[in-house]
Amino acid sequence: MDPLHFFLVNVWLCFIGLFLVLYVVLDGFDLGIGVLSLFAGREERREIMMASLGSVWDANESWLVVLGGALFGAFPLAYAIILNALYLPLVTMLFALIFRAVAFEFRVHARNKRGWGLAFGLGSLMAAVCQGFTLGGLIGGVAVENGQFAGGALEWLTPFSAFAALGVVFGYVLLGATYLILKTEGPHQARARKQAWLAFALMLAAAAIVSIWTPLRFPVIAQRWFAAETFYLFAVPPLFALLCSAMLARALIRRQESAPLLWSIGIFLASALGLAASFYPYIVPRAVTAFDAAADNLTLAFMMVGIGLLVPTMLVYNAYQYLVFRGKVSGSYGEG
Amino acid sequence: MHGLLDPILLSRLQFAATTLFHILWPVLTIGLSLFLVLMEALWLRTGDADYYRHARFWARLFILNFGVGVATGLPLEFEFGTNWAPFASAAGSFFGNILGFEGAMAFMLEAGFLGIMMFGWNRVPRAMHLFATVMVAFGGTLSAFWIMDANSWMQTPTGGHMANGRFIIDSYLAAIWNPDFLWAFLHMWFACLETSLFVIGGIAAWYLLKGRDTAFFLKCFRWVVIIAMVVTPLQIYFGDANGKDVFAYQPAKGAALEGHWVTNAPGEPASWAIVAWPDQSTQQNDWEIRIPGVLSWLATGTSGGQVKGLKDFAPADQPPLLPVLFYGFRAMAGIGFALFLLMAWSVVAWARGTLVTNRWLLRAWVASIPLGYIAVDLGWTVREVGRQPWVIYGIMRTADGASRLPVAAVGYTLLGYLVAYVILGIAFVVFALRIIARGPDLTVPLPEFAAPRHQPREGHRDPSAQPEA
Repeated sequence: MDPLHFFLVNVWLCFIGLFLVLYVVLDGFDLGIGVLSLFAGREERREIMMASLGSVWDANESWLVVLGGALFGAFPLAYAIILNALYLPLVTMLFALIFRAVAFEFRVHARNKRGWGLAFGLGSLMAAVCQGFTLGGLIGGVAVENGQFAGGALEWLTPFSAFAALGVVFGYVLLGATYLILKTEGPHQARARKQAWLAFALMLAAAAIVSIWTPLRFPVIAQRWFAAETFYLFAVPPLFALLCSAMLARALIRRQESAPLLWSIGIFLASALGLAASFYPYIVPRAVTAFDAAADNLTLAFMMVGIGLLVPTMLVYNAYQYLVFRGKVSGSYGEG
Repeated sequence: MHGLLDPILLSRLQFAATTLFHILWPVLTIGLSLFLVLMEALWLRTGDADYYRHARFWARLFILNFGVGVATGLPLEFEFGTNWAPFASAAGSFFGNILGFEGAMAFMLEAGFLGIMMFGWNRVPRAMHLFATVMVAFGGTLSAFWIMDANSWMQTPTGGHMANGRFIIDSYLAAIWNPDFLWAFLHMWFACLETSLFVIGGIAAWYLLKGRDTAFFLKCFRWVVIIAMVVTPLQIYFGDANGKDVFAYQPAKGAALEGHWVTNAPGEPASWAIVAWPDQSTQQNDWEIRIPGVLSWLATGTSGGQVKGLKDFAPADQPPLLPVLFYGFRAMAGIGFALFLLMAWSVVAWARGTLVTNRWLLRAWVASIPLGYIAVDLGWTVREVGRQPWVIYGIMRTADGASRLPVAAVGYTLLGYLVAYVILGIAFVVFALRIIARGPDLTVPLPEFAAPRHQPREGHRDPSAQPEA
């Protein structure tokens, strides 16, 4: 293979991975707080939850746009096949994100705050569920013939993907609860800590089921993970996940403020590493490799200049926005 | 085509519905964000607190509008893959690349500074806040730049060739600066400015009519009239330049817009059908009123320029819905001229000192609020329907670009979008009217920024984080 192409494709796989992790972690806590808002009880508590997101939800969701655009340009074939195959969960996710997003701005002006608060919570839950089914459907496999999706519209809907969806929802709730520990205080913080424990336990259960089920269901993945010569290398992601889980439990017990969020993010990083290790070099699992799906070298190089070089800048101004709004949230959100 | 049971037709209807609805919001986002920059800069330069209060007042409308724009824009980026997968895999290396640029350079920039612009008045120094507002506005305009680039490439796909069913780029310069791009971008960007101007001006005129905060709203109304003096005539010029490109590079679309069937003989100027009823089945106009010689001028800028007629193209290569193209185009252009005349009337009234007292003029401004939106949707309809039957003009037919999807799947999502967008549209209007009815807060104190080192550390309640207004 052309060494330049090999290099560019791998660089773009890394960028796609980076955007995916940024999206999942940032919009993950965002969506997780949305799910938790369904259990807020009082409007005052929902108000604080939404206020913790007021200045950042739009930027968090924007990583999805960056991810979509980068995948479309760098791996057009993968973009086409994946989106076509997962039509229903993805379009449903978009519906959910629409209602969730407008609920932010509409609720401020609404007389019926409960209604739009409900749209925010249910939209968040639905989006997380759909993303879980998307993940499960992808791992489950997508039928491809002649470079086109060749399966049915409901093939993603399996018991396996349902467990993946549960894992994603509980994972997002864990991120949301640990973010609330960081951003709130007093009784709100205490409640978020309890919710973090519950989400942590449920996520561990779902993750354990999916992790055991995947190699059992897909012998190719089992062969790869348990090959003797690379066994130690493949042991890194699960060990890292265990370490993060232990540290998360410790941080929750010690009532630390920022550590729970960081260790929760660590669990997501470990999961992402595990997925990459399971499927590389495939970008559509077991069907299309990144090399088959990639655009030509000129496009990949041009995108490196236009997007790749911009990544540090994007990270800096996003971090700056978080820095400006650091500290505990108080009162309401919405400008007027 | 099998009526509504054709999944390709359903995908096309879904794309049309989601695009026509979505575009209404970025139009105001782009124009209003630039207006917010102007207000904030005027405040910092003149020290007049009214400009600060203008910035705060219009920002409320801005953020309401922005939320709907972001939410309804997401489906568009994904629809290329969900509903147009063969198009996406064929065109992705350029088209997807440009959408990626839009996301990373523009969309993210807008979002990354939006929080500071909306909620950061007391948390950053004034200069930093202005910078954030400028970045939000710049992100919006840059977004329009790349989106128009991707779309204009579908109209005039230059800079590469097809190989193994994929578009391979030979020259990025030629693909990005494709023939349609420059005028199309300027035409769309000015459409954003013009629509926003008449929304802002129309709302200000409503307050002037009601006699509410007259001095306050006169300040921004005068600015709107001054800017409209530049924007409305230039927009007519850009529209004309864009139109001439259509005749040069997409002759079938040009001929369809004008109900022009037969190519004029060399040396014989083409006549212009001012009204007509173009009929695809008979390949002629059922009836028409023609003005001699005018079409050559409109299409080529010369007195005897040749204008290709629709009959030069096989019926399968002609755009559909000819009456929609013919009258949609005329209605859009008519709105452009109407807004120009409203601007001219306002300038005359200003010179006579009756800008605030001429109630019919103010009513005309209020009535013109929806006109820009209507023109934008008509313009996009003409532009996209006129490109048919191609998805990439001359390279890939729309029917070949559609995903294989079951009718039920697309049918339900189309229905879902229609229901959702009706709810969103109604809710937006209700809440926007509430913001307007409440009016500006003329007592809001100027922002006070405490240097970061004096700010309480994490864990303490931050007094500057109190809700404003």
